[in-house]
Amino acid sequence: MRKKMISFIAVIALLFVMIVYAATTGSVKMEFLEFCKALFDSSNEKIAVIKDLRFPRIIVALFAGAALSVSGVLLQAVMRNPLADAGVIGISAGAGLASTVIITFFPMLFFWSPLFAFLGGAFACFLVFSLSWKSGLNPLKLILVGIAINAMFTGLREIGGFMGVPTGSSVTSNITMKTWADVDLLVTYGSFGLILALLLYKWCNLLALQDKTVKSLGFELGKARIVIAAVAVLLAAVSTAVVGVIAFVGLLVPHIARKLVGTDHKVLIPFTALVGALLILVADTLGRTLVAPQEIPASTLMAIIGGPFLIFLLRKE
Amino acid sequence: MELKDISLSHDQKTMHLDHVSTTIKRGKVTTIIGPNGCGKSTLLSVMSRNNTPSTGTAQLAQKDLMNYKPKEFAKKLAIVYQQNEIPKELTVEKLVAYGRIPHNQMFKKDAKKDEAAIQWALESTKLIDKSTKSLEALSGGERQRVWIALALAQQTEILCLDEPTTYLDIYYQLELLELVKRLNEEHGLTIVMVLHDINQAIRYSDHIILMQSGKIIAEGAPEEVITEQLIKTVYGVKVLFKNDEPSAGLYIVPIGI
Repeated sequence: MRKKMISFIAVIALLFVMIVYAATTGSVKMEFLEFCKALFDSSNEKIAVIKDLRFPRIIVALFAGAALSVSGVLLQAVMRNPLADAGVIGISAGAGLASTVIITFFPMLFFWSPLFAFLGGAFACFLVFSLSWKSGLNPLKLILVGIAINAMFTGLREIGGFMGVPTGSSVTSNITMKTWADVDLLVTYGSFGLILALLLYKWCNLLALQDKTVKSLGFELGKARIVIAAVAVLLAAVSTAVVGVIAFVGLLVPHIARKLVGTDHKVLIPFTALVGALLILVADTLGRTLVAPQEIPASTLMAIIGGPFLIFLLRKE
Repeated sequence: MELKDISLSHDQKTMHLDHVSTTIKRGKVTTIIGPNGCGKSTLLSVMSRNNTPSTGTAQLAQKDLMNYKPKEFAKKLAIVYQQNEIPKELTVEKLVAYGRIPHNQMFKKDAKKDEAAIQWALESTKLIDKSTKSLEALSGGERQRVWIALALAQQTEILCLDEPTTYLDIYYQLELLELVKRLNEEHGLTIVMVLHDINQAIRYSDHIILMQSGKIIAEGAPEEVITEQLIKTVYGVKVLFKNDEPSAGLYIVPIGI
């Protein structure tokens, strides 16, 4: 119990420090006190720049991180598989493909792009489920089918790239040049998904039991699976539509979170959201400060940090 | 529960259940026995709605099993499986509380009734002092009792057990069967179970169903069903018949094939 409290407090504190650091660091610099004062003083020129350019970016990073991580937790629960992640099993790729197609051919539908991303992601998720289902879920088969689906959708999107379709941020993930419009989009759909996820914690806990046991309790397993998977796809799709595919977050963050706060989804889901937000904000901030004025995309940093970390986790088990 | 003319095949080749009809009597202990692959677990799974028969009808209280809503059925019949994965970090209390799911609607709960049912389930299975422990910390016998407690928390009239004693050593086997007997005698639960051990079946059942190749070969009181000849034809094993009243009662000793 104490470990959980400490973990929560530590992550929230770190998150706060990181937000302030991210806001005040970069080509326009500010001292902490100056920043605090300037927040309530609209005449400060620096803060105007920060508000216009950096705040959207920070908010986008936070929400994308939270959404992707929680999507990972939900997928892992619903597929009873610790390796399930929207980026690995093709959901993000499906979402990315759909939103690329929409933005390219129907740019006026921009605000609705997450919806189309959702449809693309849901289609990928459906394919993974139905193709790997054989009188039950087979964890290994599921991951293999997922990897195949992922490769297929990624390939399709690359064809678009070769044919001169401007694929934008949904191919190479990027959190630069985010505007308040992106924030609106991500926060609207993202909060909706995150709140739904929090409401589903009991179902997620039940899915840890075997199918036959859950069924014998009169619990409608199929229905619960579809609802949880839909929320997971929504979260992954929204963040993919805005920041592109970031792999590993949905895999890594839930693993770290479980080590710290355990497997009860009531605690795990909110904690995962916080850690995910923190991690992407750190990756994005490092990415833009390490080699300034060049930028390393957050997804690249995530892959570099995530790979070794995952191996470390697996070795420890 | 009444089963009429039930047939079922898992692979469209062999009949796992071949026109089976039987009646499970309320308030009795019924045990299904038979050699491996005779269809005894399949029969249990039809009763617990885990398998849908291709022909025949299965009725509980004059109503087709399939016409029950999932939660409604889970209030009538609970089942304990022989092998259960142990979920991580789950305490006994929390798992047993899941047994209340059939009785709860989304926004309607009777906390007092739930609490009483959980307490009763834990008490009957002697798990009160283990209730805050995690399942991982329990012995095999205790774990099996936890799964029974989960089923008891459902407060059903019928309790099914699929080979509940497999994987347990002899002490825990007897402990478990005594528990089942007590539940039947003291709380009037109708018990349907699948057992491997013929002697245990004789000792703890009111009614035995003997199966072979998807068919019921014989059923009735233990002393009617278990005969030298039937055991020889069904299991292919020669047995000696012993009757040590009042200590051991009727029992068999295999002496060759």
